[in-house]
Amino acid sequence: MLKYTFGRILSGLVTIWFIATATFLAMHAVPGDPLMNEKATTPEIRENLARKYGLDKPIAEQYVIYLGNMVQGDFGISFTQQNRKVNDIIQDHFPVSAALGILAITFAALGGILWGALTALYRNQLPDIIIMFLVILGISVPSFVFAALGQLLLVNINQWFNISFLPVAGWGTFSHMIVPSLVLGLGTMALLTRLMRSSMLEIVNEDFIRTARAKGLSPSRIFFQHQLRNAILPVVTVLGPQIAAITTGGFVVELVFAIPGLGRYFVQAVQQLDYTVIMGTTVFYGAFLVFMVILVDIIYGFIDPRVRLK
Amino acid sequence: MGTHKLLEVSNLSVEFETYGGVVKAVRGVDFGVDAGEVLAIVGESGCGKSVTVQSIMGIIPMPPGKITGGSAKLKGSEILGLDAQAANQFRGKEIGMIFQDPMTSLNPTMTIGAQIAETLKVHRGLSTKQATEIASELLIRTRIPEAQKRLHQYPFEFSGGMLQRAMIAQSLACSPSLLIADEPTTALDVTIQAQILDLLKELQSRDGMAIILITHDLAVVARTAQNVCVMYAGQIVEQGSVDEIFYKSAHPYTLGLKLAMPSNVSQQNKKLEPIPGSPPDLFSPPSGCGYAARCPHAMRICHKENPPLFSDPREPHHAARCWLQAPGAPKTEGLHQLHLIASHGE
Amino acid sequence: MIPHPQLQAADFTAEPSTDSLEQLSRPSLSYWQDAWIRLKQNTRAIISLYLIIGLALFTVLGPFLWTKDPSAQDLDQISQAPALPKTALLVSDYEPWMPPNAQGHPAEPAGYPDTLDAVTNFTTVGTPNTQAVRFTWSPVQDAGGYSIYRSESEPNGLQGLGLPLETLNAGNIVGFEDRLNLKSQTYFYSIIPTDGFDEFEVVTTLKVTPVQSITVSQALERGLIEASDAPGRSVSLAFHPFGTDYLGRDMLARLMQGARVSLFIGVVAPFIYVLFGVFYGGFAGYLGGKVDQFLMRFADFVVALPFLLFMILFKIGFGIGPGESGVLPMLVALILLLWPSTARLVRGQVLKIREQGYIEAARLLGGKPSYLIARHIIPNTMGVILVTLTFAVPSAIFTEAFLSFIGMGVAPPTPSWGSMCNEGVKTMLSHPHELFFPALFISITVLAFNLLGDGLTEALDSKMRSRE
Ligand SMILES: Nc1ncnc2c1ncn2[C@@H]1O[C@H](COP(=O)(O)OP(=O)(O)OP(=O)(O)O)[C@@H](O)[C@H]1O
Ligand code: SF4
Ligand SMILES: [Mg+2]
Repeated sequence: MLKYTFGRILSGLVTIWFIATATFLAMHAVPGDPLMNEKATTPEIRENLARKYGLDKPIAEQYVIYLGNMVQGDFGISFTQQNRKVNDIIQDHFPVSAALGILAITFAALGGILWGALTALYRNQLPDIIIMFLVILGISVPSFVFAALGQLLLVNINQWFNISFLPVAGWGTFSHMIVPSLVLGLGTMALLTRLMRSSMLEIVNEDFIRTARAKGLSPSRIFFQHQLRNAILPVVTVLGPQIAAITTGGFVVELVFAIPGLGRYFVQAVQQLDYTVIMGTTVFYGAFLVFMVILVDIIYGFIDPRVRLK
Repeated sequence: MGTHKLLEVSNLSVEFETYGGVVKAVRGVDFGVDAGEVLAIVGESGCGKSVTVQSIMGIIPMPPGKITGGSAKLKGSEILGLDAQAANQFRGKEIGMIFQDPMTSLNPTMTIGAQIAETLKVHRGLSTKQATEIASELLIRTRIPEAQKRLHQYPFEFSGGMLQRAMIAQSLACSPSLLIADEPTTALDVTIQAQILDLLKELQSRDGMAIILITHDLAVVARTAQNVCVMYAGQIVEQGSVDEIFYKSAHPYTLGLKLAMPSNVSQQNKKLEPIPGSPPDLFSPPSGCGYAARCPHAMRICHKENPPLFSDPREPHHAARCWLQAPGAPKTEGLHQLHLIASHGE
Repeated sequence: MIPHPQLQAADFTAEPSTDSLEQLSRPSLSYWQDAWIRLKQNTRAIISLYLIIGLALFTVLGPFLWTKDPSAQDLDQISQAPALPKTALLVSDYEPWMPPNAQGHPAEPAGYPDTLDAVTNFTTVGTPNTQAVRFTWSPVQDAGGYSIYRSESEPNGLQGLGLPLETLNAGNIVGFEDRLNLKSQTYFYSIIPTDGFDEFEVVTTLKVTPVQSITVSQALERGLIEASDAPGRSVSLAFHPFGTDYLGRDMLARLMQGARVSLFIGVVAPFIYVLFGVFYGGFAGYLGGKVDQFLMRFADFVVALPFLLFMILFKIGFGIGPGESGVLPMLVALILLLWPSTARLVRGQVLKIREQGYIEAARLLGGKPSYLIARHIIPNTMGVILVTLTFAVPSAIFTEAFLSFIGMGVAPPTPSWGSMCNEGVKTMLSHPHELFFPALFISITVLAFNLLGDGLTEALDSKMRSRE
């Protein structure tokens, strides 16, 4: 297990290095001048700016400097908001995204396990049919449509009842978080429900469930002790990729609900070609996602003895 | 003691509703087991052995399975068609069961100790600590070395033979009066097979427990059982004591099985002859004898009507479902002739 | 004891079975026949199959049947909701209108009044139409001016008056003309008298539904009328069954064009990367050993890359020049990033088949690797590949939609369903149809492919093939 963990972290670092390099190359492959959008009206200002961002040096040297700064966790200064360090942007806005994401994944995982278990329990009966219909919808509707619909619904509810039931956009209180995180978690929840259902149905036919019945255990004990426990395992394995899905899904939800999360800044930076912000946030996001996947795998190892003890 | 047999099964019929139609897996099976007896059920793959015992335990999946008739009495009281709560009064307590594939028959994410202890906790209301102590004794009794350490291991850390021992330990936890062993050795190496069978025999003779042993292997039957039921296409086609079945086979299928047996001592120099053809389609079982299509002695009546179970009044336990046993039927070489006065069964 | 039936000697004549023993087993269907039969029993999958065929026809044949130019702007019908064909009233070209003055009414009140009466006789002048809605009213005693509001929903007293249109600062002006972005829908106009500075709390509301109209010169310009046609007659406007977007472009035509882009990416990208994955995985599994290890390590590495980040990076690095649609970079990025899952799957299958030994047999008979892969491995893995392909389509469509939605995908003016959603979400509150239709098309497509994929999985899953 220890060796496994170590190996995973090492390969994760390689992946992050690759992401950083790819980001660097992508930025330097952009056609046109990175200072084009700037108010670099005179050659002098232009030169000063170029020096400030290290753009006057040869590419190889820039790359080395870039990697060096990256290792020290210094992502430079924003192009468009020149008084802001990229580190500050990440520090200020990532917690917002993280809060939203944690709420969304919690909601998605709990919901997925609950609904999935329910559908398996009521297989081919009304609850199963209704939930699976919603699940198919959840899987087929893009996250931004949920976001838009969620907001539209809120606006209408607030209008009909002429009260401010929940805020339509913005950030600050817990009530601001509810609808966006629900919307953000919806697709993942649908996916997990489906996975949980099929996992439950597969486990029901396993020999050890038959053994449990032959042992004379009560149906509820079989359900919780033997079926549910084993059925959750596959759900945990996909949690890593799903965290990635929720993180990127957050870009859209933050955009639609005007939430000041890092995702919104990232999308803005990409649209405005704010080089340093793009480089910094991409590497940051990349590292975050890579380590989330590793973390989930390690946690899985602790849950599943077959992995833990190998 | 009472007048009842330990387990008395009569006219048991089981069907499965499947995508291709209704499978009549078990079609009117009768047999009984006495306390302390080892009864073997033999037959080809798919003939309904597992379904028979699993319906008695009430553990066939329902749906698609359905018990369409018959009864099973444990010490005189009916155990077919009970709800889960009532059935759990005997499952694991009065009747223990072990399965073919020990690798998949234990919960992969629970320790062996916890799984054995679970049975004790549920049926005898023991605390975890007491239950674990007994579990460790059970592992010792089933000859598992380093029992203390093994208690805390998971199934994947065990070998196949060790797992089957653990399964046996688990099924013995509540000292059942009957153990059902559904092909307990099929998935294991030959050397391990012998060890497991020896263990079963030893436990049986020490505790006086009855065993229903399901197997394909007539050699296993000869070694362990007192009585035998031969099943074919969902029916019992011949039953009797081991000697009767082996030396006085009264059904052509039993003869065929014996010929197909590689290790039959009395047939050592003969070539192994598999029975040609395959069992009938259980979606629509033939109206005549199920074996007619493969039987070298088939007669006109065999295709028309299913033979009843003919038995010998002098050896009342020996019975065969074959028209050759009917009065007036031609004598067949190699086949034991029951001395018939009357017949019973369907 | 049941007596057995009375038997005759004839019953005991030997009669060995005449059926050939082989016939006892059921007729065996080929893998694909069997799968097809089971797929046909799955209603949801079959409906999905029809839906997909329908979508294909919509995309390919649609533009020939519905020939509207997807980039042409219909300025008379901007952000028009879906409706039946519309007609418009032909009106003369706009001529400035002088609001009437109340004769003898003072422009300013003598002092500051304490109260003012509500405006009376608040009526429209002429036929209110989408060129202009004109009002007049009776002057209010002591008023120093009037404020006029317009709302799309009925105000509740002084609440919800809507858009402030104008504040008149003379008590004797008793007319007003609204030309602000009028549509053929119901408006509620409210008027409040003022003392020249402050509004008083009395309001008069009038419900007006302007008729759709078009001026003579506009109509002539668009070739809707003859030069001799006089104002007052009605003119048929262009028909937009799905409405128009915020630039007046026909939604149906754009959806068709968008379908070409979205489905192109959604079908072509998976097709190529699945094909690549098949060969990659096939070779890795076939060659085995060190090569296999190395190839799969590389595949694992690609899988670990955060997918959407790389899509975005790729897009940035590629850059999009003027006049380019951005479809190509997206296609290339999808292919480069998504092949490993297929490769893994196919490799697993190949290893399984290899274990079964008949590849060895074929090799012994002198088959070349490429021949073996083509003849043995691919047909045996076709089922899995087909299922992967079916599920790959919705995920590619989602990716396109997502990227276009955040402005990182298909570049305007090229429409794709995703970029249409991006535009639609901006006007979602007032004109939901601009978001609704592209979202609906994405959802239906994804739904159909998902359900078909489910059906195929079930139909091809050999575990479920009973009677064997
Ligand atoms: N869950 C089920 N659904 C449908 N058919 C079933 C099911 N379980 C058993 N059957 C059918 O019942 C028949 C008897 O099966 P059973 O498992 O009892 O055979 P068996 O004698 O135990 O064979 P084996 O020696 O292979 O274990 C088979 O034809 C099988 O197809
Ligand atoms: S009844 Fe007829 S077919 Fe059946 S076993 Fe006896 S002789 Fe053969
Ligand atoms: Mg069996």
